[in-house]
Amino acid sequence: MWTRLLQRLLILGLMLLGVSLLAFLVPYVSGGDPVRTILMSRVRDLAVDPAAVEAMRIHLGLDRPLPVQYGAWLWQALHGDLGYSFASGRPVALEIGRALGVSITLALTALGIAAAVAIPLGTLAATRPGGTVDSATTLMVQTFVATPEYWLAPMGILVFALHLGWLPSAGWTSWTALVLPATVLSLRPMAYFTQVTRAAMMDVLQAPYITAARSRGLSMRQTVMRHGLRNGSLPVVTFFALWLAGLLGGSVVIEVIFAIPGMGRLLYEAVVNRDVPMLQGGFVSIVALSILINTVADMLYVALNPAVRSGHAH
Amino acid sequence: MRIDNPSQGVAASALLPMQPRHAAALRLWRFLSGRHWTFRTGVVILVALVTTLILAPWIVPHDPAVQNLMARLSAPSAEHWLGTDHLGRDLFSRLLVGGRFTVTIAMVTVLLSFTVGTLIGVVAGRGAGGVLDEITMRVIDVLISIPDVVVAIFLVAIFGPGYATLIASLTVIGWTPFARLARGLTLAINAQGYIQAAEVLGCSRSFIILRHVIPNIIRPIAAVSFLRFGHKLITVGALSFLGLGVQPPAADWALMLADAQPYVERLPILMIAPGLAIFVAALSVTWIGHGLEIEARDGDSGDE
Repeated sequence: MWTRLLQRLLILGLMLLGVSLLAFLVPYVSGGDPVRTILMSRVRDLAVDPAAVEAMRIHLGLDRPLPVQYGAWLWQALHGDLGYSFASGRPVALEIGRALGVSITLALTALGIAAAVAIPLGTLAATRPGGTVDSATTLMVQTFVATPEYWLAPMGILVFALHLGWLPSAGWTSWTALVLPATVLSLRPMAYFTQVTRAAMMDVLQAPYITAARSRGLSMRQTVMRHGLRNGSLPVVTFFALWLAGLLGGSVVIEVIFAIPGMGRLLYEAVVNRDVPMLQGGFVSIVALSILINTVADMLYVALNPAVRSGHAH
Repeated sequence: MRIDNPSQGVAASALLPMQPRHAAALRLWRFLSGRHWTFRTGVVILVALVTTLILAPWIVPHDPAVQNLMARLSAPSAEHWLGTDHLGRDLFSRLLVGGRFTVTIAMVTVLLSFTVGTLIGVVAGRGAGGVLDEITMRVIDVLISIPDVVVAIFLVAIFGPGYATLIASLTVIGWTPFARLARGLTLAINAQGYIQAAEVLGCSRSFIILRHVIPNIIRPIAAVSFLRFGHKLITVGALSFLGLGVQPPAADWALMLADAQPYVERLPILMIAPGLAIFVAALSVTWIGHGLEIEARDGDSGDE
C-alpha cells in the first residue's frame, strides 16, 4: 500500500508540474506577445507605444530566459500568488478561493441529493434483480445519463421559475437559488451511484454472511439494513469523491446558465475575456484539486476495505 | 449463456442464394429478436438517425441556413413543420442537419479513445506487475480524475475551436476508462490455457495480443464504447452550447438550444425540439451499450 501511495504521489507531482508548465506557456502558445496583450488589456488601445512595451517587458521580468521565468512563476504560485486578473484587476488566488467555496457548496448539495436517492434505490433494485423496481430503475438510470443538462436546466427555469414562479431563475443569493441547479446537476451522478450501489449490493447479497444472517431468521429487510448496506455502499465513497472532483470544474454549463459564481463560470469567463492569468490559475487549481481529491478517495477506499488493503482483490 | 451463432446467418443466405437482400433482412431479424426491447429500439433509432444525418442535405424541405426575417419565430405550420427560429430559419430542416458535427466529433473521439485505450490497457495487462504496467496504472489513476470539459475549455482557449482541438482534448482523458477496463479483462484471461499454450509454443508478444487477447476481450469494451459515445455526444454539445465547440452559423442542436434561450417563453418548441434530438441520440446509444454489456457479461461467465 505504501509503495503504491508513493508511486502515486510521484506521478501526481510530475503531472502537476506538466500541467503547470502547460498553463505557464499559454501566452506564448496562443500567439502574440504577452507584454502587448497585457498592455492592451490595461490601456484598451490597439496601438501601444513600442518603447512602453520594452519598458514593461523589463519591468515584469519578461526579458529573462523562459526557464527562469517559469521557475519564478511556479515559486510564486506555490506561495499562493497567481497574479492579477486582466478583467477585474483583483488577485487570481482570491477570486479562485471565493469561486471554489461556491462550487463546493453546489457540488456537495447535488451529490447529497444523488446519494440520498441512489443508495436506497440501488439497494431496492438489487434485492429483486429483474423485478419491476429493478427494470424501472434501469430505465431511469439510462434516461438520466442521456439527458443534456443544458436542455433540462432551461426547461426547469421555464417551468419552475417563469411559469410557476416557485424558484428564482438564476443567481446565488438565497438557498432557493440552489434548488434547481443542484437538482439538475444531481441526475447524472444519481444514475451512476444507483448502478454502483446495485452492483455492489448484488455482490454483497451473495456473500456467505448474508446467507448466515438469513438462516438465523433475520428478514430480508433486517439483513440488508444490518449487513448489506454498510458493505454495499462502500464503492459509493470512491464514486462520490470522483464526482466531487468532476463537478468542481465540470459544472461549467450549469454555472453559466444559472449565473452561479463558481469555478466553472470563472474558467468560462476567463476564456471569453481572454483573461490569461485567470485561465492559468483556474485550470491549474481545478486539475490539482481533482487529482488530490481522487487520490485521497482511493486511499480512503483502501483503508476502509480490508480485502484491497491486504492486496488480495487487485 | 448466449453466443452469436454465425453459421445461422450463413445457412440462411445459403438457402436463399437468389435473395441476398432478404437474407440480410433475415439476419438482422435474428440479431434483433430475442433481445431486450430497449436494445432493439436503440438500434432502430441509431440506424434512422445516422441515415438521416447522412442524407440530410438532400432531404431538407428548406435550406437550413436561409434567413427570412419576415417570418421569424413563427409557430408550426404546413410550410414550416416545426416553425421558424429567431432569424426565420426553418426549425425542422435545421434539426435534420443539426447533429452532423456533434455526432461526427463524438464518434471519432470514441473510436480514437477505444483504440488507444485498448492497446495501452492490453499491453499493460500482458506485462502485469512490471514497471511499465505500474507506471501506466498510476498515470491512469491520476488522469481519470480530471474533468474532460475543463481540459477541452483550456485547449480551446489556447488553440481556438475546431475539430482537431475538440477531438484531441476529449481523447486526452477519454482513453483512460478503456485502458483500465482492457487491462482488467486481460489480467483475467492471462491465466487461461490457450494463452499459456500460445506462450509455450513460442508465439510472439504481438501475435498473442492481436490474435488471442484482443478478440476475447473486445465485446465488453465495445459495449462500453457505446456508453461513452452517449456521454461524448452530451459533452460535445455542452461545449457548443458554451460557444466553444461548433461555431455559428452552422446548424447544430446545442447551438440551437443556446440561441433559443431568449425566446423560450414565446416559442417553447425552439428549445424542446433540439434538446429532444440530443436526448434521443444519447439514449439510443446508451440502450445499445447496455444491451451489449449484459450480453458480454452473460456470454463470458455463463451462469452469473
